[in-house]
This record gives sequence, structure tokens and C-alpha cells, in this order.
Amino acid sequence: MPEKDQIKKPQTDSPEEPVKVGVYTCYCGGNISDTVQCEAVAQQLKGLSNVMVSRTNMSMCSDAGQAIIEADIREHGLNRIVIGACAPSLHEKTFRKTVERAGLNPYLYQHVGIREQDSWVHHNQDHATEKAVRLMSAGIAKARLLDPLAPIELRAEKQALVIGGGVAGLRAAYDIARRGLKVALIEKEPFLGGRMAQLETVFPTGRPAREELDGLLSRVTTHPNISIYLQTELVEVKGYVGDFQIMLRQRSRGVAEGFAHTKAAIAACPVEVPDEFNFGRTTRKAIYQRYDGCYPSTPAIDWEHCTRCGECLKVSEQGINLEDNYVDVALQVGAIVVATGFRPYEPRHGEFGYGEFAEVVTLPELIRLMALQEEGQPLTVNNRPVRNAVLVHCVGSRQIDGIHEPQDDGLVNEYCSRVCCTATLHVANELRTRFPTLNVFDLYEDIRTYGRGHEEEYRHAGEQMVRFLRFDPEEMPEVVAAPEDDTSPLLVRVTDHLTWEEQLEIPADLVVLAVGMMPNPISDLIELLKVAQGTDRFLLEVHPKLRPVETAVPGVVLAGTAQGPMNIQESCAAAEAAAAKVAGLLGQGLVELEPFKALVNPDRCDGSGECAQVCAYEDAITIETMLVDGHEVRRAVVTPANCAGCGACVAVCPNRAIDIQGWTLDQYEAMVDAIAADIPGRMVEPVLEGAPA
Amino acid sequence: MTPDMQVDAMVVGGGIAGMQAALDLADQGYQVALVEREASIGGTMISLSKVFPTLDCCSCITTPKMSAVAHHENIQLLTYTNVTGIHQNGNGYVADVTVKPRYIDEALCTGCRQCEYACPVDFPNPFDANLGAVRGIRIPFSTAVPQMPVLDIENCLVCGKCLNVCPVDAIDLTQVPEQRQIQAESIVLATGFSTTPMDAKAEYGGGQYPNVISGLVMERLLAPTGPYGHVLRPSDGKEPASIAYVQCAGSRDETLGVPYCSRICCMYAIKQAMLLSGALPMADITIYYMDIRTFGKGYEQFYQNARAMGVEFVKGKVASIHEDEDHNPTVRVENMDGEPQIVEREHDLVVLSVGMIPRYDPHLIYDVAVATDGFVTTPSANISPCETTRPGVFVAGSAAGPMDIVDSIVMAGAAAAEAAAYIEAQHTMAPVAVGLEAVHA
Repeated sequence: MPEKDQIKKPQTDSPEEPVKVGVYTCYCGGNISDTVQCEAVAQQLKGLSNVMVSRTNMSMCSDAGQAIIEADIREHGLNRIVIGACAPSLHEKTFRKTVERAGLNPYLYQHVGIREQDSWVHHNQDHATEKAVRLMSAGIAKARLLDPLAPIELRAEKQALVIGGGVAGLRAAYDIARRGLKVALIEKEPFLGGRMAQLETVFPTGRPAREELDGLLSRVTTHPNISIYLQTELVEVKGYVGDFQIMLRQRSRGVAEGFAHTKAAIAACPVEVPDEFNFGRTTRKAIYQRYDGCYPSTPAIDWEHCTRCGECLKVSEQGINLEDNYVDVALQVGAIVVATGFRPYEPRHGEFGYGEFAEVVTLPELIRLMALQEEGQPLTVNNRPVRNAVLVHCVGSRQIDGIHEPQDDGLVNEYCSRVCCTATLHVANELRTRFPTLNVFDLYEDIRTYGRGHEEEYRHAGEQMVRFLRFDPEEMPEVVAAPEDDTSPLLVRVTDHLTWEEQLEIPADLVVLAVGMMPNPISDLIELLKVAQGTDRFLLEVHPKLRPVETAVPGVVLAGTAQGPMNIQESCAAAEAAAAKVAGLLGQGLVELEPFKALVNPDRCDGSGECAQVCAYEDAITIETMLVDGHEVRRAVVTPANCAGCGACVAVCPNRAIDIQGWTLDQYEAMVDAIAADIPGRMVEPVLEGAPA
Repeated sequence: MTPDMQVDAMVVGGGIAGMQAALDLADQGYQVALVEREASIGGTMISLSKVFPTLDCCSCITTPKMSAVAHHENIQLLTYTNVTGIHQNGNGYVADVTVKPRYIDEALCTGCRQCEYACPVDFPNPFDANLGAVRGIRIPFSTAVPQMPVLDIENCLVCGKCLNVCPVDAIDLTQVPEQRQIQAESIVLATGFSTTPMDAKAEYGGGQYPNVISGLVMERLLAPTGPYGHVLRPSDGKEPASIAYVQCAGSRDETLGVPYCSRICCMYAIKQAMLLSGALPMADITIYYMDIRTFGKGYEQFYQNARAMGVEFVKGKVASIHEDEDHNPTVRVENMDGEPQIVEREHDLVVLSVGMIPRYDPHLIYDVAVATDGFVTTPSANISPCETTRPGVFVAGSAAGPMDIVDSIVMAGAAAAEAAAYIEAQHTMAPVAVGLEAVHA
């Protein structure tokens, strides 16, 4: 058989060694023991064959708990360990390390979930206890048949892909590069900087966003380990942690780097389109820079709007190419950082008058409006000076099913967007400072100025005479047109809970909706990377405390607001944490893969090829011709590194010739038998849901 | 003087942030010294019950990390050790540390606890908010790392019982503090937080009412390893039928010098309310609040679940608390919902959601700047949130301001990334001329 088919099997000291099982039932600090009678479980399991030791502990995963297991292995010569505890995703690896420390092969350990699968989902103590006994018995039955396995060790590519050129992606790229690893940073737009570039001053530093961003940008763009690919998307991903083979597709920019006639070419372009950087408040040309001082300074052609009229070419034949095409770039990377960011919630037409009245804008729109406003002039909206501005919090956040209209996917945004309260108050303060005669009304549910320096913004707003009114989410404020003869175009009606439900009408020249955050639409990427989304549509981490920046896909980590609402500081911290994970993963140049891979028994395989047909993973199973005893035969061959261990091949094999290591059919059968077996001295009669009493 | 230990990074503080920073550095192959002043690592987190928003038991998250720290080949753990000074040494640092005497020979002790069982001295257990009792010589708590007793010399009768029972003669009453030096390229400060004192607010009883307790005491009452094994009120051991939470009882309060939001209290109060609904299904639970700040991932849904479970939320800042002769506390509050009125409501137990203040002034060991709030200054708070005013010195977790566990863990990862990059930069730079002798001359 070719070498790549083989999973290295560590040798046990003596293959004939009798099976000695140690069984441990964890209380999980009450999480399990409040529902499952752990002592009774341990007592019952003691009677099963091969079980030498059966114990309980308040928390098996603690160092003291682990020490008990280690001591038992050494003292009683245990060679299989079964622990009933939380879900394996939490601590299976913890306990594998424990048994390894005691000299046992880590895969002779079987984890049984009796918390998520039992104590957390049942109330009846007797039933939950019996279920724990059955699940644990099944675990013991499987453990008896476990073979020692060894993880697959592979060379890791010392390069990472960072997806997204906003502040989180930039921060992650820089920190990975600083650790001596190569980085490919891709951004789908022609310019770096993301949403942060659209901000003016930022809390809590009070410094201009661009100034803070430029410091990071200059470090990233000059770092020798970072390659930047603009107008680039990820179109193909193959492989696995340590060795992802990716394909990038880069669209042409149309303008060569170092192009010397930027201003003249832009001036020459006759096309004017709404400038998305200013939310359509201004226009730009079809050859454009994102903003003054953007990176890169080389302009880009907007292919969707360019008419190929050639006016720019008249400015300079050199450096402009009006051919819109793509190049594909193949790369190998060891890890992927997803920093695809957020988009502001877009209010529905008519939500607080948005889209109906020109005076209703979102907070990001107001920030651009204020940036465009000439210094020393009053703030004007819709050609009218603003006297009263009304800010409304929680637009598109903290939505309640049944009260708020759902999004296209049928879900409401139940989550808090975290950033908007402080951002709104920061802008309120700026409004009061820059336009001292302007009255600011702030309509909120709860003010969530939680972070360091945030409460100061709130206090300052109070000192600056920003008027706060508190509404109840069940009685949302209304924005309506004011009567013709009113001084202001709009009226905002609100029931104020700070004044015991006083009904107020505020004449408004400007209504600002503090819109929440939604993840950027990245369904293609989610499909490519096979990462999971939470019910809030943001990307899901493995566990918020145990593995907060990792996804369930090994080697794919999260940075910034792709994971959930975060401010700049939090995005940067998450990005740096992601970089630390990538450095830990790739720094040594080696990665380990789990050994749970398909293995062919060549004596049973007849080369029917059904396994290869159902296999969803490229190059995981191939049918090869080989010589056996001088005869040419066809046999299935597995490349373990490409196998995901899904088991689809096992299900279709007509000869039972293929198995997943660590999860064999024999092991499954033993588990099923154990679950269905009579339990001696069982405590309760089975109850069928819905059966007549 | 030659340093006793040379490492790439020294992490000060063995709470969740310090442990995570140490692990993230060690996993990248760096040598780390983790220095903790208590006898066990675990920090504040190990004393908690369950943690939001997942409601995992706190041990499930903390103890495996403690274990990982203890067993990591790249981490050297120094517990019961104070950092007494940090000096710059070229681009790196040298730290003076004092290993406090445990009065135990660590090389001999097996952690069998015979000494603890034999000790005749009981005194209030600081780990259990002084509600339970603990021996004069003891392993600090059941999941402590290391599993090594410490003899509390202040409370020791020197009766010799422990000396007699110790099977390996590990008890050594002659131990004295030991001075050591650690040389490190980079330092991570993870010195954590403390809470505003209970006696700070006279309006709330000034810490004199037995049935007005802090949120951290409630954590111990709810913890499965807690002092009573049940939620009982301290004055008479009665099971409380009505429990109130007073939010911002030490935060957003200029009279205490704590004008900022402590960020964690809304979520811990809601979490405790949920746990209490399980532990005491018949109890009424009320949360008096100014603003509910459930801003993190999954937190708002957590809050809405608590409302749906019947926890009562009353918008209003509690003005004062007084108690009757049976120590039943009554809160006085202006109810903001419905008709304007000032109400007085009696409860069996009141929990003050005390705020977070810095645990430690790093000035004591090094002149890294702290801000007016007492937490470590982070001059590039947005782009480099872990940077301090000193190159190579980084900050993680609640040493840099109030922070919950989730955010502390992420920030610890960030600090590890910063420290790693700093260490790399030192390795690629020419050796610095300033030697140790020069620093200590």
C-alpha cells in the first residue's frame, strides 16, 4: 500500500495487555450534580466489566481532578479512561493531555457529554441519572475498543491570509508580520482603511480617526513581510490548517502605481456618481481616490460607472489602462484571519421617517455631513440651518420580535451594537461644541457608556445641555411631518420615562438615527471557509472564554467586527489576539491534525469506488491500481491530510472495508448495544413522551 | 548580581488575564515567568460561581487554564511571590521578587493535606468572604494550583501538630522570605481589580448591615464550593424570599471618586438573579438600576431572558438603605416607572453591585503611568490597547480598567502579541551595552 494511506499507529507496550478502564463522573460544580446523581452513576458503573476505578469529583478538569486521574493510571495500570463531563468541545483536549502526562496514549481517552446532553436538558433527577449511566456505559463500551492513535504532523506554511483591510485586518496583519511570518492582506475595495477612515474624531482618545489609522497604515504598508492585494477576493480554498491552497482574484485598478497626473485625470473625467464614502452626500468621478490622503494614493477606476470615454487618457496615455480584467493569484497559507467587518444597519423606508424626510439621517451619515460642513458656518441640512437635532438610539439594535419588523431573513437584531451609545454622545458633544446654538435632544432606552473614558462623554453631554429623554421599546418615538406653518420641518413624538411618561413633541430640523452594526454580507466566504454564524449572523467563535477568536475550523480565526459589534479598541485587541493565535499555530512551522481519518482495510476493499464517489473532499480518497500477490487490483487509498473524517465513505462501502480511526463501526455498535442494554437495578420505568399514563 | 531566572517575558498577576497572556506567549515558544502574590493562581475568577453569558461553572473555564499554566513547559510559575521592583536593563527589564515563606518545603510536600486536617486553628476563610472557616495551615482552596499548603504564621499557635503528622517532614518553620531576580525582555502587567469597599457608602449602611452584602459575597453563596452550600442570609441563616440588587453601588458615583461605569455589574447582577431563580425558585428578585448595560455578545439576549423569567427591573437609583431590628433591609428609591413616587421596599437580602477599582498601584514597583482613575494608562488606547507609557511593558485585563472575563481574555491575547513582537524586535537588534551591573550600581 502507498505510504500516504497509512496512519502511523503507535505501538502499545504489550498488545495483549488486558483492558483496564478508569471511569470519572464530574459534578461540574453543580452543573451536572444538581440534576444527575453522580455518586449513583459512579456506583453503577463500577459493576461494568473492565472497570477498575469509578470516581466522582467536583471538577474533574481542575488540576486536583486531573491529578487523581494521573495517579490512578500510574497506580492501577489503567489503560482506558472515560470521563463524563461537559461537551467534548470544551475539555476533551484537556483530558487527553492529562492521560498523556501519565504515560498513556491520549486517544485511549473517551469523553462523554453528560452536561449539554443530559443535566442541562432534563429536570427529572432519576431519568437524568439513568441517562447518564447509559451514556457513560456506551462510552465505556467504546473505550474498550479504542486503539492508540497519533496525531498527523504536517509542515505549516509560514504565511497567513488576512481578509479585510479595515482597522482589524490591518492590526492583525501587522502583528503577524512582526512575528516573522508572511502575510497576504486582501481587501475587496481599491483602498485600505475600512469604516474607520470615514470617522472624524474618535473616543476615547479624542484624536482624529485618520491620524490614528495612518500610523497603523504606514506600519503595515512598509512592512517587508506584508503583501497587500487590493480589489481582491478569495475565490477558492482547499486544504487544511497549515496548508491552505487558496486562490485570490484581483480586479485591475486601471491606474498604474506612481501615476503622476491624478488630479488632472480626475478633473477630466466627465462621469459623476454618488460618493459612497460620504453616503451619497457628495459625488465623485469614475476615476477616484477614496479621500484626500487615502492609501494607496493611486486612484482607481470605478468599472461599474466608467463609460470608457477616454477623457482621462487624453490627460496621460501613460499609466491608465481601461481594460477591466482579473488576475488569479494562487497562494499557500497556514492560517486565515477573517476581518471582514460590519456595515451600518440601514433603516427601512419609513423607519423613523428614514427615506421619507431628507432631514432624517443615520449617525454615520451625520459624521460625514459634519466633516463636509464648512467651519464657522451653522449646520445646514436640506438647505435649512439646524436648530434642533434629535438623536435616536438603538435603531436596528435591541429589536424585539413582534414589535420590530424583521430583516429579510426573518430575524430581528436582538443584540446591542455596543458602540452606538458612546459614538452618539461623542457626536452630540461635537455638535454642541461646534454649533453652540444648536439644541440636542437624545432619545434613549439605556445609556451604555461602559468603557474607559465613555462615561465622561455622557457626563460631558449633560454638562453641555444635551437633553436626555428615555423611551420604552414598546412605545417607540415617532417622526412625523410638522404642520406647514411650523418653524421646523419635523416633529418627534416621544413618551419620556424620565418625567413619568410625559408626552412630548420636539420640533426637529434634523433626526439622527444611531444605527447598529450588522456583519458585512459574506455568504460566499462563509461557504468557502465553512465557518459558522451565530443567530445574530455574526461569525461564531468556539467559546467566548476558552477560545474567543478561533472558529470551529482549525486555522481560521476571527478579528474585529466580523465576530460581533466592537469599537476600534476592542477590534484591535481582538485582532492582536488573533495574531497571537496565528503566531502560536504557525510559528513552529508544524501543525498537528487530529487522527480521526478514514482508513481502508485493503483485504476487504474490492475497489468498487463508491467511497470516492461520495467523498466531498478533494483528493481525500482515490481509487488506485496496485499489485497484490502479483495481481493488479484496484483499491481505495486515503490521503489523511485531506480527509475530514466525516464518515460518508464508511456509510456507502458495501464491504465494510473503510472505517474512521477513533470512531469505527465496531465502536459504534458497542455503544449502541450498551445504551440499549438492561441496567441492573435500574431506578425508574421508562416513560414514553405522550404515552397514556 | 546574576539573575536567578532569565525569561523572555514576565507576567505579573496569575488571574485569568495573566494566565491567558502567559499561555499565549508560552504557546508561541517564549519562556515566561508568571508571578502571583497569592498562594494559588486563579485570581478573582476562581472564586466566582457561574459565569455569563454561557453560565459555565467558573471552574470549568478557570481550572483547566490553571492546570495548563502549571504543566506548560515554557512557563515557570512563582506563587506567593511579590514583585518588589522593576528596573530597566537595556531594552529589557530586571525584576526583584520576594518569595514569601509558605513554611513548607515544596520539594518534599506531596499535598496530602494531613497537616491541614491536624491543625487546631480555625479562622474566617478569606476565600469564602470570611463566611466559612479555614485552618491555620491549608491548601488555599480545593482547586488551588499548586496543590501546596501555606502556613498562615499570623494565625499559627506553633503547636507543632502539623509537624508531627507530616509524613515527609515538609514543614519548616524556619523559612524566611527569599529574594530573587528575574530578567525579562518584556513585562505584562495583569494585576487585576478590587471592589469598592462596603463601608464606602454610609447611605447603604456603611458595611454595618449583615444582610447587605456585596456581589462577590453572593458569588460565594451561589458557588457549589461555597460556605453554606445554600444561599442563606448572613444574619440568621434564613433562606431569603426577597432579594434586591442595588446597581451602581460604587460606580458612576462621584462621591466615591469612581465616576466611571464598572462595566461588569449589570451582567453579574442579572446572572446572579438567574442563578437565584434556580437556587430559590420561590424568591422574588428585584434589580434597581440606572441603565442596564448589557452590551457584549449575547448579553442583551441574556438580559431579556432574565426579564422573561420574572426578574423585576426597577429603574431608579437607590437613595438609601436602612434595616429593622431583625436586620431586614429596606431600600428607599424613586420609582421612575408609572406615577412619580418615592417608595420604600423591604427585602430579606440586599446585594450591592459594588464597582471595580484597581487592585494594585504599579507605581510601587515601576514608574509606569496610571491615569486619574487609578488604572494603568494606555496612551494608544484605540490602536494599541495594551501599550503603556513604557516600551516593552504591556497591560492586560482589569489592570487597564473595568473589564469582564471575555474582554480580559481577548486583551490578554493582545498583550501576548505585543510582548512577542517586542521580544522579537530585541532579538533582532544589536545587544544593548547597558549591563545588569550598571543598573544596580
